[in-house]
Amino acid sequence: MLHCSAAPLFTLTLMTKIEEIIEAFQEADYQETLAMLLDYSESLPKLPEKYIEQRDAGFNRVPECETPVFVWIEVKDGLVQIDADVPEESPTVRGFVSLLVDSFSGVTPEEVQSAPQNLVHNLGLDQKLGTRRMFGLSAVYNRIKSSVKEASSLQ
Amino acid sequence: MAEYIHSEVLVSAQWVADHANDPNVRIVESDEDVLLYEVGHIENAIKIDWQIDLQDQLIRDYIDKEKFEKLLSDKGISNDSTVVFYGDKSNWWACYAMWVFKLFGHENCLIMNGGRQKWIEEERPITKEVPNFPKTDYKVASTNDAIRAFRDDVVKHIGSGNPLIDVRSPKEFSGELLHMEAYPQEGALRGGHIPGADNVPWATAANEDGTFKSADELQSIYMEGKGLKEGDDIIAYCRIGERSSHTWFVLTYLLGFKDVKNYDGSWTEWGNLVKAPIEK
Repeated sequence: MLHCSAAPLFTLTLMTKIEEIIEAFQEADYQETLAMLLDYSESLPKLPEKYIEQRDAGFNRVPECETPVFVWIEVKDGLVQIDADVPEESPTVRGFVSLLVDSFSGVTPEEVQSAPQNLVHNLGLDQKLGTRRMFGLSAVYNRIKSSVKEASSLQ
Repeated sequence: MAEYIHSEVLVSAQWVADHANDPNVRIVESDEDVLLYEVGHIENAIKIDWQIDLQDQLIRDYIDKEKFEKLLSDKGISNDSTVVFYGDKSNWWACYAMWVFKLFGHENCLIMNGGRQKWIEEERPITKEVPNFPKTDYKVASTNDAIRAFRDDVVKHIGSGNPLIDVRSPKEFSGELLHMEAYPQEGALRGGHIPGADNVPWATAANEDGTFKSADELQSIYMEGKGLKEGDDIIAYCRIGERSSHTWFVLTYLLGFKDVKNYDGSWTEWGNLVKAPIEK
């Protein structure tokens, strides 16, 4: 007799957005990786008006990255909101930051914390685009993660 | 007013625009940012990446002769093509790519003065279209090791008292920093510089708009300022050999020094080498 009340053998968990993105990048070759990053770079949302003055005054810049990267992080009603600005002349960094904005805006701070520690490597960017270019990206990523942690602990 | 000694290797953006469809000319973009070319480039420009295309992916060296021949054949560059390089960061990477082309003995190499920055500032058109030139049968006749220094050459060089130019930032030169600011993993275990080296940061030779400084200014920086003189045998180095290729270009083509070598092992080799002498 079949017992319908038995516990399921496995639980289907939805992949988080960042896991889906990692999978897509892992399957991509060099040209596809560039195309995806370029898409991200071109789709970074415009910096909200309210931050422009702060950016121009040099606030909220990620100090470890040679490229001028500006990031604002808020946790509102338990969800992360990231706004960022990166010059168009630095498309690799801009694309990567846009990917982080896309993955982490609207998710819980815990989800951001559970994202892989070495995301740049998990995305395969170091292998495909050259290890020497990846230091700035890792710095931006770590900075965003720690800022989310800080912002959520202030809740 | 002094002229560049080999002014023929430096061309303007207008020259490149006029030659974009010249079958004897191939335009090559080389950037630090691996995506810049995809954002848009000069019509008919080919992308050559310093890291993905020109460096060996396993050992610390450039690609070998066969791979270079294949790369250029695939890109549609032939032995008699005139190759004009341009890129971001005041042509830093364009000079690096040109240096590698010269290592493999490519004859006709030019640099577009001002690079990508000036082209964009002049509001010249860019395109995302990637050209597809017919394949060629490129052959490397002989390599040109006279422009490359290895560490043993540097050891001999120190003993000879010939000029050694360290093109890193003053803080890297003094040993205060173990790496270039914002490039933490390209460090070395020891800070300082190779004994006897003079510090002339590479960007000293570039204007704000990415063009090279005038011949008069360059003479005053390197000759009057640092005492370089005709006939000198010079080695330039930086951290991994890329910034120093900009200086190699300036000394060789703009000032006309006949014997300039780039030490591509640079500080990431020397500063990690057991028992290598260091000055602070």
